[in-house]
Amino acid sequence: MKTSNHISHILHHLSFMAKVCGWATLLIACSSKPSAVPTAFTETTDSLAMYPDYRDVTIPPNIAPLNFQLNDSSATEFVVAFESEVAPKAGFSCGACEDGKIDIDLSLWRQLLYDARGRSLTVSVYAHRPAGWVRYQPFTMRVAEEEIDPYLTYRLIEPGYEYYSQLGIYQRNLTNFDVETVYENDRTFSSDNCHCINCHNFQANDTERMILHVRENHKGTIVTHGNDAYKMIIKHDSILASGAYACWHPTLPLVAFSSNKTAQVFHMNYNEKIEVYDAASDLILFDADNNEVRTILRTSDHFETFPCWSADGTRLYYCTARLPKMPEENFEANLVLRYDSLLYDIYSMPFDTVTYTFGEPQIEINASAQHKSCSVPRVSPDGRYLVFAYASYGQFHLYHKDSDLWCKDLQEGNLYPLTESNSNDVESYHSWSSNSRWQVFSSRRDDGDYTRTYIAYFDAQGQGHRAFLLPQRDPEYNLLLLKSYNCPELTKNAVQVSTEQIRHLIYNTEAELATYKE
Amino acid sequence: MDIRKFIPRSSARGAWILFFLLTWLWASWWMGDSFRIAREQSFFAFDATLMHGLWQQPFGFLWIIGRAILVLYRWPLLGGLVVALMLTGGTWLIAYCLRLRPDSRWHPLCYLPAIAWMAWVAWIGLNIYFQAESGRPFGILFLVVLICAIDAFVIWTFKKRGTHPAPSHQEVSGKWMWSWAVILLLLYLLPFAITHLRHPYQRPFTRMQVQLLHDDWQGIIQTAHDNAELSYRPLAADYAIALIHTGRLADDLFDIRLDYDTLFVKGYGNYPNVGTGLYQIDCDYHAGLFRTATHHAVEHLTMMGPTLFSLKHLTRLALLDYDWPLARKYLLILKKAPFEGDFVARYEPMVGHPELVDADPVFAQLRLTEPVNDAFEGQFEEPSFLGYTATMMVGRSKEALMQSLMACLYSKRMPDFLMRCQPLVGATLPRSVAEGLVTQVSKEPDILKVFPQLNMNAQMFQNFIRTNQFAFKDRPTYARKLFNTYKGYYPYYYFFGNLKATRKRSDEEHGGSKAGVN
Repeated sequence: MKTSNHISHILHHLSFMAKVCGWATLLIACSSKPSAVPTAFTETTDSLAMYPDYRDVTIPPNIAPLNFQLNDSSATEFVVAFESEVAPKAGFSCGACEDGKIDIDLSLWRQLLYDARGRSLTVSVYAHRPAGWVRYQPFTMRVAEEEIDPYLTYRLIEPGYEYYSQLGIYQRNLTNFDVETVYENDRTFSSDNCHCINCHNFQANDTERMILHVRENHKGTIVTHGNDAYKMIIKHDSILASGAYACWHPTLPLVAFSSNKTAQVFHMNYNEKIEVYDAASDLILFDADNNEVRTILRTSDHFETFPCWSADGTRLYYCTARLPKMPEENFEANLVLRYDSLLYDIYSMPFDTVTYTFGEPQIEINASAQHKSCSVPRVSPDGRYLVFAYASYGQFHLYHKDSDLWCKDLQEGNLYPLTESNSNDVESYHSWSSNSRWQVFSSRRDDGDYTRTYIAYFDAQGQGHRAFLLPQRDPEYNLLLLKSYNCPELTKNAVQVSTEQIRHLIYNTEAELATYKE
Repeated sequence: MDIRKFIPRSSARGAWILFFLLTWLWASWWMGDSFRIAREQSFFAFDATLMHGLWQQPFGFLWIIGRAILVLYRWPLLGGLVVALMLTGGTWLIAYCLRLRPDSRWHPLCYLPAIAWMAWVAWIGLNIYFQAESGRPFGILFLVVLICAIDAFVIWTFKKRGTHPAPSHQEVSGKWMWSWAVILLLLYLLPFAITHLRHPYQRPFTRMQVQLLHDDWQGIIQTAHDNAELSYRPLAADYAIALIHTGRLADDLFDIRLDYDTLFVKGYGNYPNVGTGLYQIDCDYHAGLFRTATHHAVEHLTMMGPTLFSLKHLTRLALLDYDWPLARKYLLILKKAPFEGDFVARYEPMVGHPELVDADPVFAQLRLTEPVNDAFEGQFEEPSFLGYTATMMVGRSKEALMQSLMACLYSKRMPDFLMRCQPLVGATLPRSVAEGLVTQVSKEPDILKVFPQLNMNAQMFQNFIRTNQFAFKDRPTYARKLFNTYKGYYPYYYFFGNLKATRKRSDEEHGGSKAGVN
């Protein structure tokens, strides 16, 4: 019995080796991809399997080619034809081998989008099956008039629990596939040097002013102004902890921070895997030019977090939750058991840009009344819309599958979900383009665990459109990548400080202690 | 006496063949399982996205080559063959470069680097992969061979034929040659001795790990019994896993020594480590704690990058969660790894088919002990597979009850154990449960009324106490001496087993802090 098992085992592996040889042959056989649209074909009603799914999406006229992978197990090669609505003959076609990977030529793509700006593209997919060529039902992409800010800054990190290892903040040029490193921690583990980096934030979609945090070793907050940068640290008896979630004032050298005592716990048998909750949180204001910090809100019965300025900088929006009633003894142990009763509303308060003083808070979104909870409020740069993440409880919606993006029209006051942009899985961290027409956000719709960056058109009527995955040169990239995209932020220009500058600051510079101002 | 007179002209070739065979023996038979498991704790694919993280590390290309060599350990004989060829070839190249010709007085020196490498590999023990770069041993070996090859090529190319110095015709005495032969033999035995004396757990543990890969529960039990006198947690962990799957946990758990000698392993950053990571994920998974296993598998992925071990666990965990997109993602990555067809063939058909997941006998067994209610990991003592299992209040099967009882007996939580025995009233008691109950009769005399069938066990227990009264005065000394007599008898374990853990537990309880479960 054992011998026959052994033999079948060996045969299995021999067949594998034969397959390898077969693949090699195919690779050689398909070294020249087809590109001419077949003249003879039959129509098929089979549903088209493609990844990423770019059907019926609205795309910016300056976006990189939307490469995708076709999946048709009976096809040996593919041809895809792109045609612009305005000039059908002006399109182009490209092909793929059995792997179905469509690699679109950048210059042809740019010309096509230039021609199709404000109109639609028709995409026809042809597959070469044993019986001949077939054509799938063509689909369309709409090319918007408005461009997206060309740079996207994000962090790549494993969708981890407690540990982190190699991680970095990167900047992608959305008009092509170039990626620059803003900063990376060490690539190998060293307990003396390992540090976490997070929560990069820019002033009004401009990299002139930027901050990012460093935790654990070499900790501090890196503040940049043009090509200059320094490291500061917020530490004072009156402040809970260093600044966490940050938002630059749109015009003044001010950063509103939340200061959080954050903890996380791990479910043993639940739909969600992790809960991240605050055991306390306040709001603080940091003056970057004077290196001063002061408290904005400090309450004992509320948790305030996720500050966000209005477009003109005269209001500060933030999330706040009432502390549930419970015994003071074993506070944190009791709090964690009530994790799902922490419901965050969105409040705002006026800000005097001359005296730097805040007025009385007023409620903007009373989510707790609906037994819901808000997080990450962001006001559009045109000042009209407030978009936020909305889920059943808590504030760290990255781990809440029911989290969706919702919108409040600040002019009309109505509140609605961005249904077209949302999915059945997590939508959480989001940011606006400077023209208020594009949103990028984190979504776990692909596989539930690995956060990916999606881009969605947001029209002048305040409606979000079908979102599409950040395009990659290799369409399989997102399936293979074992890291999550965090905190996607759009900017009009590239980060101005160099990686070496940031590294030097982190490793070789003592953080300046921010002065606390009563 | 000139030994050369007694050695045929082909003796040099014979020495090389002998050296090759001996290194093959070491690399395939002695170290085969270790490298086989190192391969599981490694990842190699011909894919830039998947190898990007490693490629970027210092010497990353070298570690990638090391991992590529490790891939061949899918079949240890083949992997060993290649390693032996590298060692022999490297040795020959060293001889060539240093002009240590076979008839030279110092020729035996050429064998020393290979033996030194083998000794180093033996010295680091399980750190050939545990929380260390698995491509390092073979990467370094490859580099040395490569340097020698380049050096040899340069010598061969630029030295005119005939100008390469002729062998020094020094008289080499037979005594000299024999001395060298003895020294080399002793040095050759050094790696074997190091593994045997410094890491006696390494070969049985890696054997059990290989058996675990094939669900060979009987094999694991046999290996544990063959090494019953070795007392190391990783061996106990794999043994317990095999007992769970054969339904023998309550009868045979205490058949091996559970005193736990020190493992010589280092953790991340080369810091001393107790080695929990060697078995934690396997134990969480086989205890039915799928969320906790996911937690630790993702941590493993974060710290080590993708490995076959973590990817396979995450695939199975995603399937158990009916999380098809996630399972598909991990399977796609595993498909890119050479020679993983068996695993993919077994699990890929389950994607999208919950009935196939439920029909898998191993999964079905694990489901029996899955937690019924949600809780947070932090509410239980670590490690969760013991802390949770010993203190859970609701289980979904009699198997869950039995695991809980055994966790209590193992960690000597007798009040918890007694409480969990109530459902067994009137039932046939498993051996260890019956023996555990009688240890508590002096504190709870009613036990014999509730479980009248224990009279015989109580008598045996009294005999045990009476016979070994002398040993109670110095338990650590007598623990080892009594093991063979009382192997498998729970009262022996209760009083003499796992004393370090018992002492630690009582010390910590005395100090008023929460105890860790060992």
